[in-house]
Order: sequence, then C-alpha cells, then structure tokens
Amino acid sequence: MTKIFYDHLIEIEEITIKIDSHGMEAEEKKEILSLVDETLHHHTLKVILDNLSFSKHEEFLHKFHQNPLDPDLLEFLKKEVEVDIEKIIRSESKKVKQNILKEIEKALVP
Amino acid sequence: MNKSGSKIDTKLLSSRIKNIQLLSAQSLYNKHPHAIKLLASVGVKPGKIREHATKLLTSGAIAGSLLLSSPQTGLIPDQTPSSAIVQTKSEVTKSLSNQLSQILPTKLSPLSEEQETKISHLLFDIFGITAVPQLGSTRLNQTYGLIGAEQHLPRYPGDSISQHDEYQKSGITPGLGAWGYFARSKQDLTPEDVQKEKYYVAVQTLYLPDWNIRTRYLYDWYKHRKVVVVNPKNGKTVVAVVADAGPANWTGKHFGGSPEVMAYLNLNVGMQKGEVVMFFVDDPEKVVSLGPLEYNSDKEK
Repeated sequence: MTKIFYDHLIEIEEITIKIDSHGMEAEEKKEILSLVDETLHHHTLKVILDNLSFSKHEEFLHKFHQNPLDPDLLEFLKKEVEVDIEKIIRSESKKVKQNILKEIEKALVP
Repeated sequence: MNKSGSKIDTKLLSSRIKNIQLLSAQSLYNKHPHAIKLLASVGVKPGKIREHATKLLTSGAIAGSLLLSSPQTGLIPDQTPSSAIVQTKSEVTKSLSNQLSQILPTKLSPLSEEQETKISHLLFDIFGITAVPQLGSTRLNQTYGLIGAEQHLPRYPGDSISQHDEYQKSGITPGLGAWGYFARSKQDLTPEDVQKEKYYVAVQTLYLPDWNIRTRYLYDWYKHRKVVVVNPKNGKTVVAVVADAGPANWTGKHFGGSPEVMAYLNLNVGMQKGEVVMFFVDDPEKVVSLGPLEYNSDKEK
C-alpha cells in the first residue's frame, strides 16, 4: 500500500485487527477499510489546514498533490505550524479511530 | 470462523461508516472549500489521495513532478464544484434516509423525546440548521406523520391559478389559507411572499391542546412559522412556512403540503401522501431560506 506522508501518525492497524477478529468477507473488509481510509484522509487534511496559516495553504496543497508521499511535507508543516502538528494529527486521528471502533462494536451480532 | 465468536452486521457497519465518511468530507469542505476546489482543479479528491499517490508512483510522475514549479492556479478557482462534491451532495440525502430509518419507529407513531433529539442532532450535523420539535412552550401535535397534497393558496385578492408559475394542475383553493392573503394586492406581492406560498405546509393548529386557551398568541406565533420537512424514505428535505391549518383528523393525515413541497419530496405521485418528519426551524436571524435543503455547503457547522 502506498504510504502517505502522515500514515505513520495515523496507524489504522487497530481497526484492521478488530475487523479481522470478527471475520468478514474480503470484499466487505476492503470496502469498509476504504471508507475508513477516506475518513481519515479528510480528517487529517482538515487538521493540517486548520493549523496551517491560510497564506500557506496553496503552497502546501500544491506540494501535497504533486507528491503525497514526500516526507518533506511533514518537515514543511513542522516549520510552518506553531503547534506540535505530529501530536495533533495523532490525537485527532485517535478520536476518529475510537469512533469507528465504537461503530464496529455496535454492529456486532451476538 | 472468526476468533471472537460474534459476527459483524456488515450492512449496518458499512452504512454507519459511510455516514462518518460523508460527514468528514462535508466538514472538510465546509471549513476549507478553497482546498477542495484547488485539489479538484488538478483531479484529486482528498479521500482518494492514496489512489492518486499510487498512480503517480506507477507512472513515475512523482520524481519528475518535484522538479516542476507549482502551477499558477488561484487559491480559489472560479469553477463549478468537483464531481466529488456533487456526489457527496446526492449521497447526503441517502445517508440521511439511512440514518432516519434507524431512528424512526417501524410503524407511524409519535416519536419519543430521545428519537426527536437524535433527529435534531442529525439535521444539525447534515444541514447546519437548528431544527427542533418544540420552540419555547409551543410544539406540534405530531413531529412524525402523514402529509397530504394541498392546492395552491390565493396570494392576494384576484389571484388565480394561471398566475402561479408551476404545478397549475394542482389547482387553487376557493377560500383563503388560515392566515389570509400573503399580500394586500398583486403590486404588494414580494418575492418573499411568492416563496412562502410555494413552500407552505398546513398543520393541525385546531387540535393543539392549548389552542382554545391561548388562541390569539398561537395564531400569531404559527403564522408563517418556519418548519423543516423531511421525507425519510429518500432523505429529501425542504424548508417551508406554516400557512394553512389542517387537515381534519378524519382524513388520517397530519399535515398538508403545497404542490411545490410535495413535488420536491417526491410525494406528488399516486395517493399524493406519505410519511414525513416535521420540526420547527429555530431561525431568529432569518438566515435559512425556504425551499429544498439538500446540502448546506455554505455554512460552517
């Protein structure tokens, strides 16, 4: 799987393990994980833009779409964002993951 | 065989996670529409960034692109929304319908306070409006009921069906709505009045338990009171005003809808009635427009 520059801060393995432990058809699992992935991309991009000065949005977005894998993107953010962006991405993605894990629990059939 | 012994209802899970995904897309768009538009202008959907990265890798474009200067695209390109956003708009109604099906009772019956609260939260999350079953001390007899088709209402003395621009086949009532004309004359009719007649509902004020006790207050309070009407079967949602009283209990219906309201809700076919959720819209600053409300991309939550 292609790694986006912030993937190491998000780590969706927790969700994969949870889904695997309850058995699911490969296609269904693929669909669910794809939705989870999209959700986390939306959240992470929002967190980044929320914390990055508006004047830097265009520069970041150009760099981002040209090479979403580039580790220098994180360096760019660390330089431009006043707060600890890695910590924020981690904590915000954790909230989203917890929300999704709760949904999985709710969908369990005894 | 799974390790835990319990299975996942994948249909339910998929529907719920789809909803989370839609809300995340909406939230990003609401807060940073310029970013979505900029990415759309180069064919990138934020949620699909991994696929985009894979394509770049396989085509060898990544290494090359680093040498290129940034394209001179404005931060807020003047173009129509991306297909991603359009798709999201249409999917929001499906998501709303899905979620309502999990809240509403299987058979038409009064909603509990908990169900009403969940629906209020849902409408706020999706449309950014404050929709409530009760405003102050006033509440409708029903918040989930059957709506039937009404005719056009005369907007001013001398108004006729030929002067209404749409749904002329629905006809016009011979009498006035419960709150009279919308304007004193054709010359006085404002675009706002036209919208009110297009998007009006009838509610059963006559059966309110306190109607006979505080008639004058309630009469004024309900006049053109803004409501939101949702067809839970398809998620179609419309904002309207209360402009007539009825229908009578014997009809088995709880609300009436103007030709435009019924058409938008897709209830102007067959028996011309169907189940809807109806809440008041708390809109003291009058920022919520009348008419269809599918996806409020202009407001931040």
